[in-house]
Amino acid sequence: MIPLRVTDVSKSYGGVQALKPTSFDVRAGEIHALLGENGAGKSTLIRIMSGLIAPDSGAIEIDGEIVHFRSPRDATRHGVVTVHQELLLFPDLSIAENICMADDAGPFGHIDRDAQVRKARQLLAELDSADLDPEMPVRHLSVAQRQRVEIARALGRQAKVLIMDEPTASLADADVARLVAIVQRLRGRGVGIVYVSHKLSEVRLLADRVTVLRDGRFVDTREAKGMTEADMIALMVGRSISELYPKGESRIGAEVLRVDGLTLAPRVRNISFTLRAGEILGLAGLVGAGRTEVARLLFGLDRPSSGRIFLDGREVSVSSPEAAVALGIAYVPEDRGAQGLVKTMPVSANVTMASLGQLLRGPFLSRSTEYAAGAEAIRRLGIRAPRGPQHLAGKLSGGNQQKVVIAKWLRTAPRVLILDEPTRGVDVGAKAEIHALMGDLTRQGLAILMISSELPEVLGMSDRVLVVSQGRMTGLFERADATPERVGAAMVAEMQEATAS
Amino acid sequence: MSPTSGRLNLLLSHEAMLAILLAVTLLILSLLSDSFFSTANLLNQVRLTAEIGLITLAMTLVIITGGIDLSVGSIAGLSAIMLGLLWQKAGLPLPLAAVTSLGIAVLAGLGNGVIITRFRVPPLIATLATMAFYRGLAEGFSQSRSVRGYPEGFYILGQGEVLGLPTQVWILIVAAVLVGTALSATAFGRTVFAIGANETAARFSSLPVDRVKLIVYGLSGFMSGLSGLLLVSRVTTTRSDMGMGWELDAITAVVLGGASIFGGRGTVLGSVLALALIQCLKSGLSLAGVKADGTIVLIGLFLIGAVLLGNLMDRIAAR
Repeated sequence: MIPLRVTDVSKSYGGVQALKPTSFDVRAGEIHALLGENGAGKSTLIRIMSGLIAPDSGAIEIDGEIVHFRSPRDATRHGVVTVHQELLLFPDLSIAENICMADDAGPFGHIDRDAQVRKARQLLAELDSADLDPEMPVRHLSVAQRQRVEIARALGRQAKVLIMDEPTASLADADVARLVAIVQRLRGRGVGIVYVSHKLSEVRLLADRVTVLRDGRFVDTREAKGMTEADMIALMVGRSISELYPKGESRIGAEVLRVDGLTLAPRVRNISFTLRAGEILGLAGLVGAGRTEVARLLFGLDRPSSGRIFLDGREVSVSSPEAAVALGIAYVPEDRGAQGLVKTMPVSANVTMASLGQLLRGPFLSRSTEYAAGAEAIRRLGIRAPRGPQHLAGKLSGGNQQKVVIAKWLRTAPRVLILDEPTRGVDVGAKAEIHALMGDLTRQGLAILMISSELPEVLGMSDRVLVVSQGRMTGLFERADATPERVGAAMVAEMQEATAS
Repeated sequence: MSPTSGRLNLLLSHEAMLAILLAVTLLILSLLSDSFFSTANLLNQVRLTAEIGLITLAMTLVIITGGIDLSVGSIAGLSAIMLGLLWQKAGLPLPLAAVTSLGIAVLAGLGNGVIITRFRVPPLIATLATMAFYRGLAEGFSQSRSVRGYPEGFYILGQGEVLGLPTQVWILIVAAVLVGTALSATAFGRTVFAIGANETAARFSSLPVDRVKLIVYGLSGFMSGLSGLLLVSRVTTTRSDMGMGWELDAITAVVLGGASIFGGRGTVLGSVLALALIQCLKSGLSLAGVKADGTIVLIGLFLIGAVLLGNLMDRIAAR
């Protein structure tokens, strides 16, 4: 009996075929990875399987019977539950209320709170998450914890099939390990899991079978056993990428940025480092270790309580983002959609947003200069925008959106570029392009501070690696010394001290 | 007009639609009543709308930033009262009294801006509070007494003509061109749109978010003050309840004009056309003998229709 099988499903949006006829199935107790670059049709297939959209053609079968999902609720009733990338929880309700919702309401809509708490506690225990108090509001939870709450909710609904859309996209490595254990546990209980991720190392670790989509087309379904990451990439992009992290040689020059004792308790405590021209300094640490907070201080979004910042040896005060830009500091933030882009504006308006002064003809913005700036960004960074500079930023794929944000900052001619999770949620092809761009920029003498939760990226791209844990520096490694073991140990260093004392 | 150029055609068509609607309304009203479609009456209608019109211009910017300003009517009332008091009680020359009360109006608007930017109070709450506060000040200062007997020259503002057209027509045209140009063609205007579309991204792009919001609310105060003065000059008296309910008239015009109440979208042209449409309906229907409540019902229907149409167009644009 196959808990979920789709046969020749397809979907078009206004003339564009997002998914050509594709078949896919999940067996009980199996992890089936779904791979593909952004725009390959994964999201469309997931939306069909989770009941968000109806396919134009093809059939959905649950346990061999043909069904039509009218809504996600309908899919849930058939035992197909989806954990979306952006977690859909109610922040002001408790964990128990989020897990149970109105599932167990009495005949008059009455909800038995004690029963909800008991049920939640039991489900969380099954996920090895007894540390979560069911009565705590979800608002206080980390992303990783929220995710476990969502999975518990899915379990509570007797999920036969669990669809997980990029579950580890915003998790640090330690949390990823825990999630991997949970997913394996669910497989052991006979749940069929559809696992979507850009992180191929996880896929190789977890998946029993792998299905690859490319350009809305089904490419292949294979047994995962024996497949290497390179095999998967080759299937995804239709060519092989020999070099994943092409950090070329760049001449490292004079010191550009020096930070001395930067502090804003509790997230940033006494951070000191230097950054030189042509250098990439990787800033590693767990989510919440204080990496982004350091970036915010350097970009003037927050003010430090103590500590000094030097640019070219001269002490500077970064009082606001405007001051930071004037000093030549640029920041590509971690949350592209919320912080990086104005999605309802075209590419040209987005790439010029931090350098509007350059568009002025007298008091007025020059439309032609703006258009030219958009075209220039598209050409220089290889942004795929079919409508050119007028293309709305929100309608680009993740990788191209990220390039728009980077282009915006390159127009300010920065000396120091801070990249916060530069390739999060970006497909393999665009990721390689962004890495290559970083290499080019350092060869032109730009100093880059890169924050990343992906250890291979940090180790592959950085000339030196600075590790923070709980707001403190716990390690600084030269490229040659930065092994996964050493950096990993430094990432959790402070925590162990805290537990030991 | 808007930098969301992918939608430019649709926005233009929203304004084109308003213009057509306005033309049809004018046509119908001219058939219903002989006295409506005369140059004299139309110019007089502009005179009557000028005060709300000035406020509507500023409100367009406020709403595009994703904000709202409920205190505009109260500021108009406050500046009217201050004009009367400063001139009659404090003995200031009238021009100086006018400039001072305008200054007070700007300060009142900046006060809103400070509360909103510095203390992060949502604009709806902040201006709801100052709506009561500024009205309270006006009533307190006036002691429920009205001021009359302004010098003859002052009435040029509200009742006179310049080059054969009512003074307000000129003021409104100049203000609309200035605000419209600032919104559509300057870095300031671009920042206004960016704040409304995604304030965090605007801030992360090093745009001067707080400064621009202060200017926008300050401008709203200035326009409110100016319309207060125009009203005093038009009706030759000062009362503390002047400008009551103006905020709703202005917001109605802006929303009917195609601005999104969530920010990021809107045009000065749209707001002005919508205001003209509303005024035509009000006056034309009353001339045609329709009761005031009937007129309000009709305007309400127009507003709902405009919002539904806007949603429909969004969905088409999203395809």
